Amino acid sequence: MSIAKALLLLLVAGLVAFDFITLRGKNRRGLLLEVAVFVAGAVFIVFPERATALAHVVGIGRGVDFLLYPTVIWLVRESLSSRRQRIESAEQLTQLVRAVAILQAREVGAPPHPQSDGASPQVVESSASVTA
Amino acid sequence: MASRVAILVPVRDDASGLARTLEAVRARAPELGGVTVFVVDDGSEPPVDPACLPERTSDFRVVLARHTVNLGQGAALETARQLALSAPVPFRAYVTMDADGQHRASDVRALVAAIEQGADVAFGNRFMGDSNVPPGRRVLLFCARWFERALTGLRLADAHNGFRAFRRGALERVVIRQNRMAHATEIKLRVSRAPALRVVEVPVSVRYSRETLAKGQRSTGAAAVASDLLLHYLFGDSP
Repeated sequence: MSIAKALLLLLVAGLVAFDFITLRGKNRRGLLLEVAVFVAGAVFIVFPERATALAHVVGIGRGVDFLLYPTVIWLVRESLSSRRQRIESAEQLTQLVRAVAILQAREVGAPPHPQSDGASPQVVESSASVTA
Repeated sequence: MASRVAILVPVRDDASGLARTLEAVRARAPELGGVTVFVVDDGSEPPVDPACLPERTSDFRVVLARHTVNLGQGAALETARQLALSAPVPFRAYVTMDADGQHRASDVRALVAAIEQGADVAFGNRFMGDSNVPPGRRVLLFCARWFERALTGLRLADAHNGFRAFRRGALERVVIRQNRMAHATEIKLRVSRAPALRVVEVPVSVRYSRETLAKGQRSTGAAAVASDLLLHYLFGDSP
């Protein structure tokens, strides 16, 4: 076995061990999927000719390309999906913080019995239902 | 006709600048026919203390809201916009203004006058006023102006000037979804895409000091603005 193969297998085993320890029994199904994917990856690391044989079946020259193409496509898709989810989460946080701010808005130094004009605390409170 | 003027002021970690700005506004409030300032504290630490703000008078009122976490100037402006629009009695004009003392309260009158004379949106133009724009900032704003022209089609001489005034109907259309500094471009985009809005530019003075330059947008912020615009164009609801 070459040094590169040994290092890659060590990396795969190390990542699985790290996730197993840090997850502490949580998200077991996700961990099982990760292990399955990593075992498949380890098989292709040790026996790269298997990947090449599979690549030839579908008309791709090299085994590494057979693995790389779908991986890159999946990673790009995952990256865009994560970005969209982050923006959606940020918008939800913004709406929540804004709703609290509007609900708690007060006129500075207002008398105890506010007048019914555009600046009274009561008016401000009534705006709490306004959303973006 | 509504008599008072609404001024929307986002602020973060600049209580002293805010107090000075509001004091200057209060001094001008009688000639404006009364002012209500909607201050949104965007997660300042410590929070803006209401006791440090100028006292209420018959012409001058302050409504203070606070974001419990920092969201960005655009988000604070949107909160102030919603607060101001939720008042049952409409204001004569809605002015957006920075809290750091860059903008002069004396210019509010000219912006409001533009709205009273028929404009729907009045953008402040610092290059027509008595401004001391540093050379580096001039170059940045020159580039930003052409970028915004290409994006919005609005032929304005100034870009990213936070001193503006709106008629109520126009402000209702300017929903701000950009939480950070890209909101200035987003406002222009929304104005350009709203049908039949009359847009004018009004000379205003923007006074730069060491403090305002330190707190204000840096040149590197331009990349962040472009990035935010692109990301929200791709994944958000921004135009």
